[in-house]
Amino acid sequence: MAEGSNGMDRRRFLTVLGVTGGGAAVLSGCSKDGVEKLIPYLVPPDNQVPGIATWYATTCRECPAGCGIHARVREGRAVKVEGNPAHPVNSGRLCARGQASTQGLYNPDRVRQPMARSASTGEFSPISWDDAIAQITARLGAVNGGRLRFVTGHEPGTFGRLVTEWLRAYGAGGPVAFEPLACDALRHACRTVFGLDQLPRYDLTVARYVLSFGADFLETFGSPVGQMRDFAASHGFHDGGMSRYVHVEPRMSMTGMSADEWVAPRPGADALVALALAHVIVRDRLASLPADVGRVRGMLDAYAPDTVTERAGVPAATLERLAREFAAVPSVALAGGIGAQHDAANATARAVCVLNYVTGNVGRTVLFDRDPPAPPATYAETAALVQEMRSGAVGALFVHGADPVYATPAALAFSEALGQVPFKVSFARFMDDTAAQCDFILPDHDPLEQWNDSIPRAGVRSLQQPVMRPVFDTRQTGDVLLALAQKRTPVPQRLTAGSYKEYLQQVWQGVQRDLGDRRPFDTFWMEALQRGGVWGQAPSRTVSLARGAGEAPAADLWTVEDGKIALIAYPSSVLYDGRGANRPWLQELPDPVTKVTWSTWVELHPETAAERGISEGDVLEIASGAGVVRVPAYLYPGMRRDVVAVPMGQGHVAFGRYAAGRGANVLGLLNGDPTGFGGLGTYASVTLTQSGVHEVLPKTEGVPRQLGRGIAQAVPLAEVGHETEHGEHAVPVPERIEGVLDQWQERQDEETEYGNYDKENLQRWGLAVDLSRCTGCSACVTACYAENNLATVGPEQVRHGREMSWMRVERYYQGGAAGEPFEARVLPMMCQQCSSAPCEPVCPVFAAYHTPDGLNGQVYNRCVGTRYCSNNCPYKVRYFNYFDYQAKADPAFAWPDPLQWLLNPDVVVRSKGVMEKCTFCVQRIRDRQHQARLQKREKLEDGEILTACQQTCPADAIVFGDLRDPESRVSRLARDQRGYHVLGDLNTRPAVTYLKKVRNLVEA
Amino acid sequence: MATIAREDQLTRPTYHEVTRDIAASIGNPSRSYYVLLGFVLLVLAVGVGALLYQVRYGLGVAGYHPPVMWAVYITNFVFWVGIAHSGTLISAILYLFRSAWRTAVYRTAEAMTVFAVMTAGLFPIVHLGRLWYAYWLFPYPNQRQLWVNFKSPLLWDVFAVSTYFTVSTLFLITGLVPDVAALREQAVGWRRKLYEITSLGWRGTDQQWRHYTRAYLYLAALATPLVLSVHSVVSWDFAMSIVPGWHATIFAPYFVAGAIYSGVAMVVTLLVPLRKVFRVEQYITVEHFENLAKLLLLTGMIVTYSYGVEYFMAWYGGSPYERASFWNRAFGSYWWGSWTMILCNGVLPFFLFFRKIRRSIPAMFVLSLFVNLGMWFERFVIIVSSLSHEYEPYAMGHYTPTWVEWSILAGSFAWFFMWFLLFAKNFPTVSITEVKEIMPMPRKERQHS
Amino acid sequence: MSAQPEGILASYRFVDAAADAIRTLKAEGYRNFTVYTPVPNVEIQHAIGHRVSPVRLWTLLGGLTGCATGFAMTLWMSFDWPIVVGGKPIGSIVPYIVIAFELTILFGALATLIGLVFHIRRTRQPGAYDGRFTDDRIGIFVPCPSDRRQAVETLLRTAGAEEVRVEA
Repeated sequence: MAEGSNGMDRRRFLTVLGVTGGGAAVLSGCSKDGVEKLIPYLVPPDNQVPGIATWYATTCRECPAGCGIHARVREGRAVKVEGNPAHPVNSGRLCARGQASTQGLYNPDRVRQPMARSASTGEFSPISWDDAIAQITARLGAVNGGRLRFVTGHEPGTFGRLVTEWLRAYGAGGPVAFEPLACDALRHACRTVFGLDQLPRYDLTVARYVLSFGADFLETFGSPVGQMRDFAASHGFHDGGMSRYVHVEPRMSMTGMSADEWVAPRPGADALVALALAHVIVRDRLASLPADVGRVRGMLDAYAPDTVTERAGVPAATLERLAREFAAVPSVALAGGIGAQHDAANATARAVCVLNYVTGNVGRTVLFDRDPPAPPATYAETAALVQEMRSGAVGALFVHGADPVYATPAALAFSEALGQVPFKVSFARFMDDTAAQCDFILPDHDPLEQWNDSIPRAGVRSLQQPVMRPVFDTRQTGDVLLALAQKRTPVPQRLTAGSYKEYLQQVWQGVQRDLGDRRPFDTFWMEALQRGGVWGQAPSRTVSLARGAGEAPAADLWTVEDGKIALIAYPSSVLYDGRGANRPWLQELPDPVTKVTWSTWVELHPETAAERGISEGDVLEIASGAGVVRVPAYLYPGMRRDVVAVPMGQGHVAFGRYAAGRGANVLGLLNGDPTGFGGLGTYASVTLTQSGVHEVLPKTEGVPRQLGRGIAQAVPLAEVGHETEHGEHAVPVPERIEGVLDQWQERQDEETEYGNYDKENLQRWGLAVDLSRCTGCSACVTACYAENNLATVGPEQVRHGREMSWMRVERYYQGGAAGEPFEARVLPMMCQQCSSAPCEPVCPVFAAYHTPDGLNGQVYNRCVGTRYCSNNCPYKVRYFNYFDYQAKADPAFAWPDPLQWLLNPDVVVRSKGVMEKCTFCVQRIRDRQHQARLQKREKLEDGEILTACQQTCPADAIVFGDLRDPESRVSRLARDQRGYHVLGDLNTRPAVTYLKKVRNLVEA
Repeated sequence: MATIAREDQLTRPTYHEVTRDIAASIGNPSRSYYVLLGFVLLVLAVGVGALLYQVRYGLGVAGYHPPVMWAVYITNFVFWVGIAHSGTLISAILYLFRSAWRTAVYRTAEAMTVFAVMTAGLFPIVHLGRLWYAYWLFPYPNQRQLWVNFKSPLLWDVFAVSTYFTVSTLFLITGLVPDVAALREQAVGWRRKLYEITSLGWRGTDQQWRHYTRAYLYLAALATPLVLSVHSVVSWDFAMSIVPGWHATIFAPYFVAGAIYSGVAMVVTLLVPLRKVFRVEQYITVEHFENLAKLLLLTGMIVTYSYGVEYFMAWYGGSPYERASFWNRAFGSYWWGSWTMILCNGVLPFFLFFRKIRRSIPAMFVLSLFVNLGMWFERFVIIVSSLSHEYEPYAMGHYTPTWVEWSILAGSFAWFFMWFLLFAKNFPTVSITEVKEIMPMPRKERQHS
Repeated sequence: MSAQPEGILASYRFVDAAADAIRTLKAEGYRNFTVYTPVPNVEIQHAIGHRVSPVRLWTLLGGLTGCATGFAMTLWMSFDWPIVVGGKPIGSIVPYIVIAFELTILFGALATLIGLVFHIRRTRQPGAYDGRFTDDRIGIFVPCPSDRRQAVETLLRTAGAEEVRVEA
């Protein structure tokens, strides 16, 4: 976190402190009508002031990372979530998926009350909770406990424990914690190499050299937000230096875009690269080798660079160089991302474990905690369950927080197997592909409505509390399970709690004991709620090589079948495994790499495409042994010529209006059988055939190249400070002209009597974006959608380029032609709030004007829609309402009930025919200014105001502040030697300064 | 004074015949007239329907593809304003130059001007996101004392176009008064009423002529700079912006020339059928077409030169944005538009160097149609291709019009021709008075000799 | 038309005849007669010898007023609602020139027409009229009391009048 933003954090923490106490008090007991009291304001509850937001600390459950969040609640409705600054996992930052969690809460396609499928029609019909519980009790009575199975999501916390105990009470076996993106390969590797059945934790702040073998650690692998924070801290240019990052994968993922060097081995051969590196390090004693290195030396002998170079597809020289670089500094090698989990992925993971070990990274950057949280089930276990079901051994199946029908390969035939189960109960919040096949749906609360906790990693227990009254007639699954259990006689003695909250508190009393906290439980509990949980440093254990470490890992590499091309199925950094597909914000968020929205595509190298006569948008029929999918082509220079790649996440059958029938499910191409290491193999050998159909991809990008205009600039580390003043600037402005321009600007300032140009005690708001930190993850974009009530327009309008994203992350391709290295650059583009703004003077009605503190204001109600401002904006950051996105009656209505509940009450919803734009979250600025005035403070502290994009940026790449204050963080950055203005030669005088990306290249 | 035509081929009609011939064009419309009018109204209805549809659902129903925020509607606006220009040019400027040949054609040109401005004026409103607030563009006093931004070229447009409409309408009416008075005498029924009112009690007394001729002269003197200013202002809508391909100092003269060019073309397009239908070949002769052809040739060459200058400056100026923009204009996704424009405006008019073509009315007619087409494409190319290829590569886009835009374009032609048809059947499309004016009055001497 | 005075109306076919008549009338000291012509005719105008119409003054004044209004309005409105756009001065003269120019023309034209109407009305004399005067005949109406009719009639006839009508 910026030290500058501490003041603000303290202030917000106080709010949370004050509020959550009361909130929790109100919510405790029967939480349902607790919040209801807040609605009539005749007798306003002391913790609810109309127009003043209250913040509740809770935990994000969009993925297993378990980031701490604060939910902003206005008039009893959650309107936005932001990271919990105090939380160790994400320290206040959040990814796009986290930002979109409110769209899960208010999703129009939520199951609104318990449903039962009628035996006759097979249709679902509403049913009362009591009836549902009664009927299920009856049905369960008939099921022999041994034949009862329970599929949950990854639940490393109290709920998982409850389910286990509940099942035990029925005499059934443990639950299957289904997690599609579980790192089975890595887990298996750690077991064989170190004899530990757990995943390591990485300390990227210490690492000066990061080597990723296809691990998308900035997207879905591990704890992306925390890792991005740490990565940016070490890889972002600061004090004249930065760490170096090399990405090893046949395809350059979003994570790979941040790499200083991209090494593309043959698909499936990445293990050889890792082994060759280890070989060189051991051979040349590049690091102080551990005592038990002997266990692997023999094995490594076989992997000298020149012996593997052929099969690996990487020059021996490169391998030698990488090895030396890797051993020279505290480094870390990552492997095990689901996107690189081919059938031999455990070989890679093992090789990487060995590599880390021999280099001495284990215990330094690669840490193994004591008593880590329970791991999710491996894919093999899920496959086993399918066998069970098919054999008819399963009498009743309960499913909670997982959609295995969608998230397992069609070849596994989970759906058919499910058909064999006589009695299926789902606790799904949405009518997903699995729920659609069940007999009962007992909708669970949304994570923002429920009591729960989660253990993202050892030593961190994160709490979840209801931030508002449930939107629908749903019920917390914990309560339902307890109710079911208590229908039994005798009532199982571990399941006597009156409610899940009570059960949770019982567990937490244990937690308090373990912490040796002697205070009364309520004090401890309240404090934990306010903080968002309890956490401390987890002791990590020292590890040594296990006996299995010596076996040659790369015996059987994955290789593509003859006459076919390798397909990589990678998880979408936006939709994750597909659980984000019913969030319109995420559907419309351009993929960080391809900038395509609302669909699935297959990535091919332009040359591969040219050979096969494929052009962008041609719908290809991709056939593997397992199945066939049809997806349009996207030409991506960032991959080897012998691979194609398709993202996961689309192609749902059900799952609501935003997800159903959209795109294709790439899992349909994957082999259903577990791989040797018990995981899901995400590589496949496929054939491509033209389907003859062509469709326009709904992408938000015009031209993917910079045309030499120096939009997103970069500089080699060696040249920082020495580079020519204008770097890659399209039109270098001669010195004399510079002078003239300055004089002209001054004259302008003198001649203008008002506003920004009044020099006295007025701020000039500005932004600084450090491109050496930005990874292009696009969390800022979704945060902007959430904060500023941006409408989602749907794929058809995106094809017309009419998306409304006030903030966009531009991605430009560099090089990639034969010989020259390929590079992708990203640049967040929002309104530049120019001093000499071209958009302002052309507005005939003063709808576009300049505020005294230097913003390009836009008066929506005054706008008549001439769109001249947009024509005249060189940055094209003004967005026009082509349809009536805010009118319920209109076909384009963007917030179907109850989605409109998440509209930010502080921001107007724009109507048809007006131009809208970014104003640096002016509502936040004014709010803080009012606060300051109330507190009789002369000036706002630097960093007190956070724009939505800055607040959520996991890489802390965006800094907002007052350019008039020379000491402010933003001013200091704006003066940085790397600072430049996009299209500065137009003399628009932007308030946004970009700091050039720095590339840590090897001296050639 | 000069004469309509050269002596040898002249069979000069008497004043009375002039009145009679021209008056004959008025009234008792034929069946085909009504069929034509009906068709025009039908097309107009389609256009209005499309507009209502757009108002209901929003501008999204048009093909706009950011960054192309202006497209066919503004193209039509500039196109029609352009058409409007020759009218005042022919009537006012040629009047000041005392060139006699104008007398036969200027009434048509003026009427065309007024109706073209009426058409052009619709488009800035049609293209608004919230056209129901169009009146906000006028500086009317309001309780919140919100004024308009006079720094915006769009405001200049508001003033220029409304002034132009007012002045050219007054100019037309003023010119009509003596004619209407002449018609008044033999008209019958409701037309007589109409003429009695519109002739404002004109009797042609010495005093009336004394003031009238002066006033007309000064109106012409005012209208002349107005013509030049209006299209300059329109061109500044573009030239004042920073869009590569728009931001050029040549725009004002370039657009004025283009306007006159297209206007004259439209006059030819209208006169050819008109003189046939109304049997006024005797008054609108080949001579007139040759003179118009010379105007076309002159302005056409200015326009072609401007094209050259545009491309030259794009290269010579050295700005990569300009260069890219013009490269895209010529060889990018809108190449077809650019080359249509260059063919119609920059190549075909040079055939007018041949006297044969200048004096062949069918050739002139066809040519004028091509010029109209070319000038529409000129505006389309300038507006759309420039916008589609600006500064930000990420934000470049390609625009294609939708049926809504085409319907409204068609509707605008219908609107224009509706007015022209109504006018042509109720008022003299050739100026009775001025045609007489250039024929010497009978004298005793001549009779004796 | 107000009550028509009695007098004599003559119509001419030939322009020079009419001109002669006018000259003799003036020589005889007739002033307030009216001449009708279908088109403005130099010969006739010379014969009558009016001074140049004062309409041009209206044009001038109208134009100046328009120009002043243009600048006054733009500047006043700018400072009445002073909003900064694009770092430009609140009152920027240069762009306002356009507005001022257009208003100059507008007011000038309107003033000219008002002047036209005004002067025509001021100089209007009631008198007899014939429809052919807007077609192809020139008419002269001489208001005169019955005792002098004879003299005027002969004067007009000798000048070459096609027909002479006594209006009583």
